[in-house]
Amino acid sequence: MSQPEAPKQPLQQPEPLRVGVFVCHCGLNIAGTVDVKAVAEYAKTIPDVVFVKENRYTCADPGQEEIRKAIREQKLNRVVIAACSPRMHEPTFRRTVSEAGLNPFLYEMANIREFASWCHQNDPQAATERAKDSVRMAVAKARLMMPLQTLEVPVTNKALIIGGGIAGMNAALDLAEMGFKVYMLENSQSIGGHMAALDKTFPTLDCSICIEGPKMVDCARHPNITIFAYSDLVKVDGYIGNFKVKIRKNPRYVIAERCTGCGECKDVCPIEYPNEWDMNLGTRKAISVPFDQTVPLIYAINRDYCIECFKCTDKCKDRQAIDFEQKPEEVEIDVGAIIVSTGFDVYLPYDMPLLGYGKYPNVITSMEFERLILAAGPTGGKVIRQSDGKKPHSIAFIQCVGSRDKNKYPYCSNFCCMYTLKHVVQIKEKYKEDVEVYVFYMDIRSPGKGYEEFYDRARERGANFIRGRVSRIDEDPITHNLILHSEDSNLGQPIEIEVEMVVLATAAIPKKGTADIARILNLSRDANGFFMEAHPKLKPMDAPTDGVFFAGACVSLKDIPFSVSQGSGAAARAATVISKPKWKIEPIISIVDETKCKSCGVCVDKCPYGAIRWEKGKPANIITASCHGCGTCVAECPQHAITQMHFTDAQIMAQIRSALQDKPEEKILAILCNWCSYAGADLAGISRFDYPASVRAIRVMCSGRVDKEFILEALRLGAGMVLLGACHLPYDCHYISGNYKMKARTDALKTMLIKLGMSPERFRVEYVSAAEGIRYAEVIKEIDAERKAIGKEKIEAETAKLKPVLENMLKRWKKP
Amino acid sequence: MPFKTQKHDTAQTLTLEWILQVKNYKLALDKDQCVGCQICSLACPKGAITLIKQPKVTGEATKKAKVDIDLAKCNFCGVCDLTCPYGAIKLTFNGDHSLNVVAKETFPELIRDIKIDTRNCPKECVACKEACPLGQLKITKVTFDGKPVANFEALSPSERKHVVVNIDIPKDKCPTCRACEYKCPPGVIKMRKAFEGKIAVNQAKCPPGCRDCVDVCPMTGTLTVGNGKVEVNEATCTYCGACKVVCPVPEALTLKRTKVLHTPIHSGTWNKTLERITSPADVAKELKAASGLNAKKAVAKRFSKQEEFIR
Ligand SMILES: Cc1cc2nc3c(=O)[nH]c(=O)nc-3n(C[C@H](O)[C@H](O)[C@H](O)COP(=O)(O)OP(=O)(O)OC[C@H]3O[C@@H](n4cnc5c(N)ncnc54)[C@H](O)[C@@H]3O)c2cc1C
Ligand code: SF4
Ligand code: SF4
Repeated sequence: MSQPEAPKQPLQQPEPLRVGVFVCHCGLNIAGTVDVKAVAEYAKTIPDVVFVKENRYTCADPGQEEIRKAIREQKLNRVVIAACSPRMHEPTFRRTVSEAGLNPFLYEMANIREFASWCHQNDPQAATERAKDSVRMAVAKARLMMPLQTLEVPVTNKALIIGGGIAGMNAALDLAEMGFKVYMLENSQSIGGHMAALDKTFPTLDCSICIEGPKMVDCARHPNITIFAYSDLVKVDGYIGNFKVKIRKNPRYVIAERCTGCGECKDVCPIEYPNEWDMNLGTRKAISVPFDQTVPLIYAINRDYCIECFKCTDKCKDRQAIDFEQKPEEVEIDVGAIIVSTGFDVYLPYDMPLLGYGKYPNVITSMEFERLILAAGPTGGKVIRQSDGKKPHSIAFIQCVGSRDKNKYPYCSNFCCMYTLKHVVQIKEKYKEDVEVYVFYMDIRSPGKGYEEFYDRARERGANFIRGRVSRIDEDPITHNLILHSEDSNLGQPIEIEVEMVVLATAAIPKKGTADIARILNLSRDANGFFMEAHPKLKPMDAPTDGVFFAGACVSLKDIPFSVSQGSGAAARAATVISKPKWKIEPIISIVDETKCKSCGVCVDKCPYGAIRWEKGKPANIITASCHGCGTCVAECPQHAITQMHFTDAQIMAQIRSALQDKPEEKILAILCNWCSYAGADLAGISRFDYPASVRAIRVMCSGRVDKEFILEALRLGAGMVLLGACHLPYDCHYISGNYKMKARTDALKTMLIKLGMSPERFRVEYVSAAEGIRYAEVIKEIDAERKAIGKEKIEAETAKLKPVLENMLKRWKKP
Repeated sequence: MPFKTQKHDTAQTLTLEWILQVKNYKLALDKDQCVGCQICSLACPKGAITLIKQPKVTGEATKKAKVDIDLAKCNFCGVCDLTCPYGAIKLTFNGDHSLNVVAKETFPELIRDIKIDTRNCPKECVACKEACPLGQLKITKVTFDGKPVANFEALSPSERKHVVVNIDIPKDKCPTCRACEYKCPPGVIKMRKAFEGKIAVNQAKCPPGCRDCVDVCPMTGTLTVGNGKVEVNEATCTYCGACKVVCPVPEALTLKRTKVLHTPIHSGTWNKTLERITSPADVAKELKAASGLNAKKAVAKRFSKQEEFIR
């Protein structure tokens, strides 16, 4: 499949450079500390600068007009604005310069407010010096900047939903109602997910299938929705707006269009097998549907069990719906967005032998309890013991089986407390005084609307809540009663209780097949195996792969109301893509120079987004629409064959050289990632935390972008100290794992530098979040103190010693 | 309790189980009853049954092959139960031996066509009992007033005259070899073999001294060694194939089943089973006969009407 053309950028601007510098007073915010006049005067002395202007408020209308005017009248082809943080007004001024006809990527900001006036209020002179250097560094970068074009790709306005549980169904229905064509892929025989197998739902105790069934039918009937049930995802190609999806329809051996769902075949079929929908407590026929409300209502033959008697074929007669020759069929569809809503699985604690699951007949899981108490379930709604078919007079519910267990699943499974309370209420309502109920819990978590009240309701029914973890269950071999050993942590003493039935609230775990889906769609998974969202707080429904969204329990466990909301949320997110005829892509992406690429394939695994396609022997190829512009691959490429637009090696090297132009040994060269450490440094300024003005900061999008060469160059030039700021491990990185790639790279680098004779303190990696302004200030203070402690002489001596090695390593930068 | 499958293998029985909350499926193979023939393995639609030849021990008689059932493949349909000539396999649901495949008419039952009329029985005769190679034929005698006879010799001649003889052949276990029938002088027992076929031994191919087939044949007298050569008396052969399983030289022993006596059925499973037990040609024959029968019936129906009309 073709991909959008990467921008062909001219490497050198032919016309002579004409840089305009605009220095902002920001009222007294900057001018109160920094000598703005001096900065402006200094700017005039910088080579290539042809125009300098001070503004009281550059971002206000008159200020912006000044810029537009100067561009037009002075024929400026580069603009540097020395003002606040680019995180604040970069987009504003991009618009300003482009309104004047200048490419918006030919302008750069020098942060002299958050990074000078606000954080060095006690030392106006040093603040002014830092501001001057910032302007010079910005000009250095600006000289090498190139015009970039925002890319556009066409969009297919259809969506694919993978997984037809309650979350997926809501997403499908919302998108279909908005008027989009929706394909729904479900690998089991029916849509509905876990909810279709539940009896009642907390906290209102409404019948689950009664409220879900109509939605399932709506999905089947909606003219905009096509359901592929009993089908698997095979392959996905393409990128946001343009996915090509291959689906395999597994053979049902029943022709969907002809099956009327009458079920007469089921009645004549002689073969039964355990019904997975019933947690295998009951059986279904070799030709059957898993439950009566199955949608789509098409029978299927399980050839693993069928003995080919053809009684069903005989019975089906003229309808001729049964076809034993049916083969798997592959279909290909085009969609613009994909929503993954594959849900979860329930943990079966066979590997916790002390609980006796699978060994003692009267130990069941909550999901099995759910099937037992359901009137349409295998026992017709009777909660009975397997050992003797009698109803139990005492039941113990055990919480957190597998969940919140460091040896199994360390996380909380979210809904087990609530469904156990539901089970308590249900069983108490069913068997009344006849049944004694115990709940062994760690904490009862009931943070939802009406949930705490529901907890009260369960307690009012007279259940015994015992706080403690059950360590062992024994069985009385004659009565098959169970003896629980636990501790009552409220009383602080061990207890032993005999009950007739035990219900284990087992962990909800990542759905089987999650790894396959992750592989096909290039998604990452978190430490527990669930899908990883692009940002846990701000992009909870976005996958790192553009155009792919999440809904429901597949990302993080959630109950029905939350799954429903996420379904609608994901639909809205998907609509932001497929409602547009074209999709715009920021040009700050990476491109491969095919003439330099040696096809080693190193970059492929380093890209957190799987955006790089590579075949042995051919140059690597970055899918422009999938690249997020972190620049990690650029720093990793051993051939320096990859360039990140707007953050090229040459631009950053120029900034480093400019920063260390004078008295390098007195400087701290800081390279900060845009999303955490740069933001943290901004916050230090906003909070007016004062710190030494010896720091010179360079912004990159991700710490993953930081090439070893940048550090080497800074040290070669004799920088006193080098700081690399990144997002906290493990999950803070805006580009998923750029910080990990950076860490691996710099750990090795640091060891080498120390071996070469550098004082270990001189190169430091710090993880600073956007909220840690105070920490950033502390770190700089620390580093500056260390710099002083090491002393100028030692630094210069080390530089002299390191220089030849570093020069050798930086050979390619030698001017011809 | 989650779904559980289990397999127990003891000297007496091989038991396979599906234990569900609401149902229990149990398939039990009685190893004494089993002769190691191949019928069940041929019948099984899932190919779950295999025969394992037992190693030979010098100086000992050859052992019958051992039947093994794969728990992962078995789907508890009961086809093996229905076809075992010796009734060695029993499938039960919650302890109840009523099979779905019979109820839904997807698999036939073997017809063990055994007719016994004991009115002509000499009162002291036990020839049939002694003839039964499996020792499962039971004779019971009761006095005219219904009391069981413990010691026939002790009765007076007149009492002996009024004794009623009962012959009991377990219908689910008898392989219908007809040995009892042959030994019965007055023709009290009449039976048809459930399996018909052809067996032959090509003595030239037999390895010298080999008597593997003779050792395993459950029907005493069917295979014998005379003059150091294996001889066949086909009269009592049940065509079960236990011999064929252990025979070391494929060409030495040929066994063909041509017909199975069974309740009428119309089912794909049975056609395939029959094809494996007999041969495709024999299945075609059976199907032709069935359709011929149907055609005859249809014709008869129409003619009876026409005849009425002509009259
Ligand atoms: C015992 C128990 C009781 C509960 N009781 C309640 C309650 O009373 N109230 C409440 O609010 N919540 C309850 N919950 C939680 C509730 O089940 C979940 O919140 C809800 O099911 C999540 O919906 P979902 O659509 O995200 O996932 P699911 O319901 O798991 O649906 C996922 C769907 O995706 C399909 N799928 C998975 N993988 C693939 C694939 N690779 N390709 C195609 N399709 C795929 C699945 O077949 C399924 O249909 C309970 C949970 C349990 C275990
Ligand atoms: S052919 Fe298979 S599915 Fe159909 S009735 Fe027979 S056993 Fe059941
Ligand atoms: S590593 Fe970063 S810059 Fe490189 S292709 Fe992937 S997303 Fe783009």
